[in-house]
Amino acid sequence: MPSRLYKPTLIWLQGVTCNGNTHSFLNLPYLPQLLERFEVLYHPLLPCTQSLAETAHCKRGCDVLVFEGAFDPEMERAGTTLKQLVGHYAGEAGHVIAAGSCASFGGIFKASAPNRNSGLAFAGEQPDGPLRGRVGKVINLSGCPVHPEWLGYALMSIADGRPVAVDQLGRPTALYRHMAHDGCLRNEYFEWKVDVEQFGRKEGCLFYEHGCRGPLTHASCNRTLWNGVSSKMRVGTPCFGCTEPDFPRRNLFETKTNMSIPEEVPVGVSKRAYLTMTGIAKSFKIKRLEERLIDDD
Amino acid sequence: MMTKALIEHIEGEASLYFDTRGDKVTWAEIAFPHFRGMERMLEGRKATDALVLTPRVCGICGHAHLMATVRAIEAAYAEAGHPVELTRKAQSLRELTLVLEMIQNHFKWLYLVILPELEKLGVEGLAPAPLKGAFAAAQATKILALFAGQWPHSSYMIPGGVTCDPTHLERIQAAGLLDELIAFFEKETAGIDLDTLLTFASCREFNPLQSDLGRLEKGLIAAGMHKKGMAYDRFVVLGEHGFTVRARLKHTRPMKADASQVATEAAVCRDETSYARNVRYGKHFYEVGPLARAISADNALIKNMHRRYKDSVYTRVMARVYETALLLQRARKLLEHLELSEPSYIPPVPLERITAAGEGIVEAPRGPLIHRMRLERGIVADYSIITPTQWNLGSSVMSDPAPAQKAMVGAADIAEATFIFRSFDVCSVCTTH
Repeated sequence: MPSRLYKPTLIWLQGVTCNGNTHSFLNLPYLPQLLERFEVLYHPLLPCTQSLAETAHCKRGCDVLVFEGAFDPEMERAGTTLKQLVGHYAGEAGHVIAAGSCASFGGIFKASAPNRNSGLAFAGEQPDGPLRGRVGKVINLSGCPVHPEWLGYALMSIADGRPVAVDQLGRPTALYRHMAHDGCLRNEYFEWKVDVEQFGRKEGCLFYEHGCRGPLTHASCNRTLWNGVSSKMRVGTPCFGCTEPDFPRRNLFETKTNMSIPEEVPVGVSKRAYLTMTGIAKSFKIKRLEERLIDDD
Repeated sequence: MMTKALIEHIEGEASLYFDTRGDKVTWAEIAFPHFRGMERMLEGRKATDALVLTPRVCGICGHAHLMATVRAIEAAYAEAGHPVELTRKAQSLRELTLVLEMIQNHFKWLYLVILPELEKLGVEGLAPAPLKGAFAAAQATKILALFAGQWPHSSYMIPGGVTCDPTHLERIQAAGLLDELIAFFEKETAGIDLDTLLTFASCREFNPLQSDLGRLEKGLIAAGMHKKGMAYDRFVVLGEHGFTVRARLKHTRPMKADASQVATEAAVCRDETSYARNVRYGKHFYEVGPLARAISADNALIKNMHRRYKDSVYTRVMARVYETALLLQRARKLLEHLELSEPSYIPPVPLERITAAGEGIVEAPRGPLIHRMRLERGIVADYSIITPTQWNLGSSVMSDPAPAQKAMVGAADIAEATFIFRSFDVCSVCTTH
């Protein structure tokens, strides 16, 4: 483990963004401790030692580059194009972190300008960004926005000198191996194929009719809760699959079905087996799962 | 000779161009250089997809965008002859989470922007501690997330109500967290208990406060900000909530306000392409935000400030910080009276039946946010967004300046002018979207 006296330098740049990743990061419970481990040369909101104009001169490099937003080569920050900025800082840095789905895959701002915008290393699933082929150096922390704890994990690992294993899309396996479904409080309803009757109910699963992508989305939203307390599914909102390269899909509050079975079945499960299992599970009538929770309150 | 200043540590980036005589600012133009195409992206999509996409206009007030979208869809339902029914519970939850988003915004602005920038003007003894802002904001968004699932970027409001179904467990958790946040505000920010602060009727009552708010108040006076940065002294509040009064105001004199009078035009900046738009009510520019809200709600303290210091930077800044206290009290009331036994959601008729136009207006942290959409069988045919920062931070010609431009003219130097600019709580991502 490197000496704690040594502080890696960090620069946080923004491409085409809504600033959501910056604000999500501010929710990190151990933000002060994390900032102690780095020398923050530039960040768009937090205290830092350089101005954006100084940063845009590209005179020195940094150890860690965090990039937020989609990459548009022609977009300028303080008069310097993103192509030059990313080229310079990513070249110098030992680690590049794509914070959020826009920086990872292009996300929502690739959807708004598909021919121009991309992620750093990927455009959708295609390795087609300016840093393509640099899997390992570029850590993709997809999510719209990035979960603060995921960013905390990646940065602390770098500060500790610990390597971060990533999947084929450059996402840390420790965070993205499981599905968003994992840890969902509605799992029992999922198992027994009990759909939520309508929105605004704690009882029932959102996968069958209400568009939930939980069983199809690599993310640990329900393992590491949002803001320390919740997740979309906990409040009855379907998972929109925002960590996947195809975000944002269309008709987000609906599940495409075939004969009332979701067209896409959970990742890694054979469709035929799933159909059989569904038939059996549905034949159970479990009284506990038909009652309202508020009645206990 | 125009001097360019790059404004950062805002939401995004802006350029200011100054004409000066000596150091004194004689004219200023504002450019927002980044455009993202959010409105076009929605066309051809089912209207409910907008509930997921529009919060992504802005990382700091996405919840206000969500509410504006849901209100616009519900307005289209009403226009089409299928009014949407909302329970009191759904309305209270929507308002509570909106209020919490405003609270986090105001904390961040005070601690991450205003105190550090005021110190840069040479004001001593402010003891800025930016991470206090992040801490308090995170506490507010934690309460928000108990009902909305996450912050930023939740999509828990839907036509007909909200998707969540809180029990007393969440209500009690939320009340505990809110008490902690109020205790933080009382100890660190205000230096006095919330209820006493809310009885203040005069600026003099800030004098004994040994707190961030006390230091801010003295610092603004020390920097002469009670005599600077006046705009038109005309205000407008359009969003209707339990804590707002819809009105258009000349000085403090209220008149009826009608959102159909609101129109936009391209912003003017001679030296750089700006993607911002100016917003006017009728032919005129108006200032929006917490100061406007406080005056229209007849708040005694802020009206007293306004009597003494007009619409100066002092009044504008203090009104925003003071609104944090008003909103904390509002959040406490909303939680206490939350009626959990009602349904969260009453399903409306299928969206496919709706061919109509709708408008949704919300008071976002910085002022009225307007979403307008036209639906054809539930599909978005047209979508337009007017944001609060477009009202305040437009850029127009010398004979007819936008509020922030007018406020900056006469500043002693460029540093002072940029502080005046920041007193409007600049959000570049919202300005251009």
